[in-house]
This record gives sequence, C-alpha cells and structure tokens, in this order.
Amino acid sequence: MKKAIFIAILISILATSLVKNSTKEIEDKISVVNENIRSLKSELGDVLLEYNYLSAPDKLTQYQSQFFEKDLIKIDIKKIKKLTENNNHIKISDFLEKNNDE
Amino acid sequence: MSEKKNNVTLEEYENEFSYKKSKTNLNIEFNRIAFIFFVFLIISTIYSIQLLHLGSLKKITNNIKPPITKKNYRADIIDRNGNYLVKTVDSINVGIHPTKVIDKKHLLLMLNHIYENMNLSRIKKKLDQDKFFYLEKNIRPKRYEELMMLGDKSISSEASLIRLYPQDNLFSHIIGQIDNDNNGISGIEKFFDEELKKINEPLKLTVDVDIQFLIREELLRFQKIFEAKGSAAILMNVNNGEILSMVSLPDFNLNKRETIKDVNYINRITKGTYELGSVFKTFTVASGINEGLIEPDTEFLDSKKSISCGKNHNIKEYDNKMPTDLTVEQILIKSGNIGSVRIVRKIGIEKHKSFLQTIGILDKIDFDINEVGKPQPIDWYEGCKLETIGFGHGITTTILQLAKGYSIITNGGYDIKPTLIKKNLDKKNKRKKVLNNGVSKKMNTILRKVVSEGTAKLVNVEGYQVGGKTGTAEQVNNSIYSNTKINTLASIFPTENPKYVLVVMLESTKNNKEYIYEYRDGSGFKLKGSPRNTAGWTSVEAAGKIIDKIGPILATKYIEN
Repeated sequence: MKKAIFIAILISILATSLVKNSTKEIEDKISVVNENIRSLKSELGDVLLEYNYLSAPDKLTQYQSQFFEKDLIKIDIKKIKKLTENNNHIKISDFLEKNNDE
Repeated sequence: MSEKKNNVTLEEYENEFSYKKSKTNLNIEFNRIAFIFFVFLIISTIYSIQLLHLGSLKKITNNIKPPITKKNYRADIIDRNGNYLVKTVDSINVGIHPTKVIDKKHLLLMLNHIYENMNLSRIKKKLDQDKFFYLEKNIRPKRYEELMMLGDKSISSEASLIRLYPQDNLFSHIIGQIDNDNNGISGIEKFFDEELKKINEPLKLTVDVDIQFLIREELLRFQKIFEAKGSAAILMNVNNGEILSMVSLPDFNLNKRETIKDVNYINRITKGTYELGSVFKTFTVASGINEGLIEPDTEFLDSKKSISCGKNHNIKEYDNKMPTDLTVEQILIKSGNIGSVRIVRKIGIEKHKSFLQTIGILDKIDFDINEVGKPQPIDWYEGCKLETIGFGHGITTTILQLAKGYSIITNGGYDIKPTLIKKNLDKKNKRKKVLNNGVSKKMNTILRKVVSEGTAKLVNVEGYQVGGKTGTAEQVNNSIYSNTKINTLASIFPTENPKYVLVVMLESTKNNKEYIYEYRDGSGFKLKGSPRNTAGWTSVEAAGKIIDKIGPILATKYIEN
C-alpha cells in the first residue's frame, strides 16, 4: 500500500513538472507576444502623434488657406439631415426636431 | 606426593544481542533505487523548468526594444477622443569627453562641417576644460547619424525622454508645465504628478481638441476686436460636470518651456476671482424661487429709481427708463437692479447665503488643478452687503464656479463636480439633488427670454435654444472700482433640456467703431460700431459666434442615446 502511495507521489511530481514546463512555454509565448505588442504600441503611439500633429485644427486651417481658394464654411444645423433605416427603407428627416420655441 | 586440585566454575552467560529483521517494509535495495531515481527526477525537473525557460527568454530579448526607464517615465495625456495632448518620446543627447579626444583640431573641423552656424570658439573653450559637456540635446536623427559617422571615440550618446505638446498653446493652462527633473510644476502635470509617473495607460481628459481650437480662435478674434486685456471661456456639460473646453487668454507655448511670471498669464477660469455683476441676478431669482418666496410672475410694484442703504450707499438702476412695475421674470430680462434688491431683501441673509453655498459660489472649489482662486470672504452684515450681492456687486467668484452655479440651477437642481478627468460614469450612480423641484424649469424659461427678448439677443443662435444672462461689472483694482469692465455672458443650451453651459468673459474691453453686428432677429439688420461697452455688445457677440461654430459639432458628435 505504502509502495503504491510513494509511486503515486513520484508520478504526481513528474506530471507536475511536465505541466509546469508546458506552462512555462506558454508563458514564454505570452511574454513574446506582449513584448511584440509593446513595441508595436510604441510605434503606433509615434504614428498617432505624427497624425495628431499634422491633422491638428490649426494645421488643417493653415493647409486650407495655403492650398484652397475657398474659405471653410460653418454648417447650418437646420441643413443637417438624419438618415434612419427601417426595413431596408431609408428615411430622411431634419436633424433638428422642431419645437414651439423656434 | 602432593596433589593439585583445580576447580572449574561454569556460569550461564546470557547475551542480550540477537539479530532481528528490520521493522520497515521496504528493503534497502528499493530505498537506494528510489532515492537515486528521486534525485534524478528533481534534477531533471529543475533542468527542464529552469534551463529550458531561460533558454527561451534569450530568444526574444534580441528582438525587442528596451523598456522606457522608470526614472524618467511620465504617462501621456489624451483628449476625450484619444488625440495626444502630451506625449513622452525617446530622444538622444550627444556629448563630448575632451579627455578622449585625439586630435582637437580635426574634431573641430569636422564639427564645423556638420554644424554650419556653430560657435567654434565656445566648443574649443569647453574642450580645453577637460570636462564632459553636451554638444546637442534632443538631436535630430540625421545629425546624430552624421556625428556617429565621424567615428570619434570622444563623442558619446545617451538615450533620454522628452515631453512633446503637439497642440502648442491650445491647452497650456490645463496641462501646465514640468521642470527639468521630471516634476510637474503647474496644471494637470502638477496635480497628477504621482499618478503620471505610475500609470501605464494615458491619462484621458474630458476636453475636445476641435472644440477647444474653435473657441480659442473666436476668443482671440474678439479679444483683438474689443482690445481686451484678456479673455476666457468655459464649456461644460451641465449634467456631469465634464469640461469640454477651457480657454484662458493670453496663453503660452508649452514646447518652449518658458518661465511664466507675468500675472496677465493667470488662468482666468480657475484662478482669477472677479466681481461679475448682473450674472448674479440669476442666483437671486433662483434663490427666491427655491425658497418658495417668489414665482416668475410675482409682481414688484412701485419700485423707486434709486434706494439708499447702509452709510450713504445709493443703489440706482443703470437705465432710467426701467419701469417701476415689474414681475420677477421681467426683472431678470431687463436686468433690474432695484428689483433684484427687493427680491434679495425678501429672501434674507441666511437663506441667500445658504443658497449660494449650496451651488458652490462662496467657497474655494475642489478641482483637478492647483491653480484655483479663493473667493473673497464676505461680511454679510456690513452696510448693505445683502442688497449689493443681490445684483452681483461686492461678491467675487471664479468663472469655473459661475459655470457650476448655472449648471445646478438649470440641470434639475442636481449637484455636480466640474472635472477635467474622463471617468467611466456609472449611470446608476444617483446624483444628489440640492434644489427643489421645478426651480430649473422656471429658471430655464426665464433665461431663454433673456436671450430672445432681453440683453443677450446677439447670442440667440437659431436652432440651439440658447438661454443666459449678461453681466457688466466695473473692475476692482486695489480695492477701488475702475473704469475698465469685466463683460460676462453665462449661457446654457438647449433650454428645453440643458446639456451645456458656456461662459464667456472679456476683460477690460473697448468699443470698436468698425465692427459690424448682424442682428439675429431675422430682420437682417446690421449695425456698425459698438453702441456701448457692455457685455451685451461684446461677450454676447463673441458667445454667439462661438455657438455658431461649435454648435453643429456638439449636436452631431455628442448625441446622447
């Protein structure tokens, strides 16, 4: 009986070491992926920074005056329309709901 | 012959030793094998776990960038839409060790070739001092490459971090500055100094880059038109206190990292405390309605043109044509001083003081930056303090607190905390109601009429149901009233169900004889030149143009489902 317990413990240790080893391998893979993500995140951050700088409102205004003859126009809220899809039918309505005040 | 006798004695000997079989059930051979096997198992386990693991780590270290050193780390700051307001980026500093220079003349010649406008005598002097010095900090990649191509061992480089502000001036008063030791010294950088050094994700603010830009552009334009010394505007959500825009002019370029000492660069929204005049009449009326003492149609008849109180204090109407009989609603629409005094007298000191405290006007506000002004303490029992406070004189507060007060009055009476930090708001989280039912509905109707019929017609932008109240106050310099004006408009929109509060303040304005006003009553009437240096002709016009531009963005971008 005791022999059986001892052998069972040994097998458990062996199994644990195997599981542990495979866990470590998975951890390694996760670590590699995380590190790759980190470096990609860093690159994405740099690209976003560049994008934010080049598309900043003052830059866009500057480009507009530099490359286009017409001035930017403000949108009249009364001219904005709302599209609503219902059973494959698209309904166009005024964005601004009319009320008694206006 | 003698005989020798020998006696032999035999004794029984009992030996206690006896060979016995070991009591253990395992035999010695099995123990030895098991032990060897066990040791082998342990060693192989350690080997398989540790050595294989370390081996695999070696593979990845060659392909990754080293992480940013925590010493100089500082988290980025983004706006509500994820646009960078501040970003920490890698940088390289290049320096020279004079002791390692082999041929100084040759090195100077090469440096002169790379740097066309370099002060060579200064470099030569530093080379002679035999002490390490930086040749260039935050060097451009191309120049770094050129220097490294020289192959001179005395030239060394080190990695560093720099803080970039892609929006330059746009958020200078909000973000603030850091010092050379990576410590925040003003704004968000100072208030969240510890957090910025710890958190891995960017700090998200409630502000919107596009809206901030549009408001700043209009403020700059009107500051120039009315020759104002400074100006400020804040746009805040009345229901949750999120600030979408906070502009204070003049501002400064954060990338230049200048030391700001001029007091004119004060944050006029949070730090500057001002007497704001008639915008306080809204609080007087709201206080009376909240106490159940007045209703919008309550009449105040036979009002005098002037009343005296305290020691030789005379309170007059600003306009002699002010009718003597007015309802509460008309008092606010026409901005009557005497009517406001009569209302506040009816309310009394304790109740009105308690009301102003409830809406956060009197005490220093708890905010997300350190640059916060403290309203001047009031001696409520001095002279006719209550009466002057009724129409907005003898009481100071910040523009931020004014915006908070208007929010509470118009959002259904719920307390809010103005904030610059975007949080995941729990919709189930119950807001604290601090005003009685019905106050907001009545006040919103009156404020709408102030814009459609009263002193703020130039902000009556079609489609937005703007409500608000103007305030023209004489500026106090060294405790004396001066001729310069603080012109303010506190507005909310849409009045049917307010979402935003917009406060615009222009400081020390002058009339402009050339500016053309376009009336918003549908008549198409145009007026050249400002008739008066009041809020109605300055800050109201600026607010109207601001809503013209930001209105479509607010209406379409921030639709609440």
